[in-house]
Amino acid sequence: MSTSKPTRGAGDSRSNRAAVQATNDDASASKLSCVKKGYMKDDYVHLFVRKPVRRSPIINRGYFARWAAFRKLLYEFLDCGGGTESNFSKKQVLSLGAGFDTTYFQLKDEGKAPFLYVELDFKEVTSKKTAIIENHSQLRDKVGNISSISQEKGEVLAEHYKLLPVDLREIERLNEVVALADMDPSLPTFIIAECVLIYLDPDSSRAIVHWASETFSAAIFFLYEQILPDDPFGQQMVKNLESRGCGLLGINATPTLSAKEKLFTEQGWQRASAWDMLRVYSSFIDPQERRRIERLELFDEFEEWYMMQEHYCVACAINDSQGLFRGFGFPNDRSQKEHSQESSS
Amino acid sequence: MSDLDRQIEQLKRCEPLKESEVKALCLKAMEILVEESNVQRVDAPVTICGDIHGQFYDMKELFRVGGDCPKTNYLFLGDFVDRGFYSVETFLLLLALKVRYPDRITLIRGNHESRQITQVYGFYDECLRKYGSANVWRYCTDVFDYLSLSALIENKIFSVHGGLSPAISTLDQIRTIDRKQEVPHDGAMCDLLWSDPEDIVEGWGLSPRGAGFLFGGSVVSSFNHANNIDYICRAHQLVMEGYKWMFNNQIVTVWSAPNYCYRCGNVAAILELDENLEKQFRVFDAAPQESRGTPAKKPAPDYFL
Repeated sequence: MSTSKPTRGAGDSRSNRAAVQATNDDASASKLSCVKKGYMKDDYVHLFVRKPVRRSPIINRGYFARWAAFRKLLYEFLDCGGGTESNFSKKQVLSLGAGFDTTYFQLKDEGKAPFLYVELDFKEVTSKKTAIIENHSQLRDKVGNISSISQEKGEVLAEHYKLLPVDLREIERLNEVVALADMDPSLPTFIIAECVLIYLDPDSSRAIVHWASETFSAAIFFLYEQILPDDPFGQQMVKNLESRGCGLLGINATPTLSAKEKLFTEQGWQRASAWDMLRVYSSFIDPQERRRIERLELFDEFEEWYMMQEHYCVACAINDSQGLFRGFGFPNDRSQKEHSQESSS
Repeated sequence: MSDLDRQIEQLKRCEPLKESEVKALCLKAMEILVEESNVQRVDAPVTICGDIHGQFYDMKELFRVGGDCPKTNYLFLGDFVDRGFYSVETFLLLLALKVRYPDRITLIRGNHESRQITQVYGFYDECLRKYGSANVWRYCTDVFDYLSLSALIENKIFSVHGGLSPAISTLDQIRTIDRKQEVPHDGAMCDLLWSDPEDIVEGWGLSPRGAGFLFGGSVVSSFNHANNIDYICRAHQLVMEGYKWMFNNQIVTVWSAPNYCYRCGNVAAILELDENLEKQFRVFDAAPQESRGTPAKKPAPDYFL
């Protein structure tokens, strides 16, 4: 299974480590733009943004759609089989390439934090995040009893929250990190990869998905990333991101919804379902919320909105060894595929 | 060389004018525009252009493909500003050409030629950034109120930015609108700038844009018949191929911003009509990177990252 590569840093001229890490700052700035306009609440993201910007309505609405889909699936996971933070229904979250995501701090405020929340990213990113957590009491207090915090190591170890540095492409290191974080592979686990795997070479992405399936038998894998690289919009997207140094190295290996599903089912996941964000927005997100945010700003970017949303998707993969996740995820999904029955026999 | 000719040369290099020059230019433009009809008469031959949205270098590409003004007679269907990085230079160049050659270029109003929309979609911020105050934005938005609402080419082709209105069945009804105001939130003037033709709609439907209406083929047929016109030419909607006919060639959308927002990957088009109203669409791509001035001007469009 060890397919990790000795390619720390720039293994590919289309992609460089600093540029990929910079996508984290861009995403945080966009989330703050949404928060300021009232799309969603986040009392912490402003601590992670040095230069606030105002994004156009299409970007605000798109980040909202992603956030709402993520939240809905995460809550479904946290709520299944009983409450949170209690011993009889311990659960854990593993966020791959977490960046400056603030979900943990918000879950704490909402009383919904899981037993264990683990965030992984490049050390350059985790060091900065560690510093920000250390320097702001409102974050430090949320993290609770800290047994170790080190900006130099880029590491926060608290009872219910761990932030650890790792290059996700070094698969064998993932096992060490999971052990260091005290994760229990038998607990129900929600794994997050938002715009992360798509920047990796396809071998690394497959290895990570495979490793996650082998490691966690009761798990949800939430994936959000780009699709459709071959039409004119997609070609331009690939070109624009490449010219920023964050090429979508994985997009040609998984260019469609069914390819995203296969990425999981071929790497051991029991089932997977991928919807494009147009469908997620119109048929999954709470319609009341949708109506609320559609009144926040003038919106005159419809043709572009449809195209942009068609080029992003959410894939939800499920391993259900404990029978917790029957009916989990996208509702009445005609296209939901049980690849495992065809391909693994 | 007159001041105006010098200003045109300067704007063609994508260099903005001084604030005092903008003010004078806008005043002169208003004097010309106030005389125009809400349904401005245009003679053929003419070249019709759709949305530009501040994509200055792509508009230069448009002029390279379509020929320079005044040699070519132009009709622009609005949405000169917002979204792109050079709304100021784009609008001022078109306005300077209008003042210099009033009979060789016609500018009508798009839904983005509005105080409210430009504060959301970029023109206001760009003026602040380039001039340090909102004065230039104020001069320009005052001009917007004077732009005509539509054009009629040789009495045969009706041109408008968005589309039709349930409050309008004849051209004479358009002629009676008092247009010298900010674009209203509803009513005939709003609809002309905001509406869209839509295949699945019979009659009139609600627009997802929150302004204007969706209108179907039967609406277009009866409007064209009642006003004795051959077809409607409009802009307002991105079409990936640059132009698109609908409803048995009774309405055509022309889109002139290639690779819209530096993100969409679309081609653009202009529609050339000769003296006999024979049509030729000219399709063009975005200007190549090396023609976009200094290397620092490389656009970095937003995505979800």
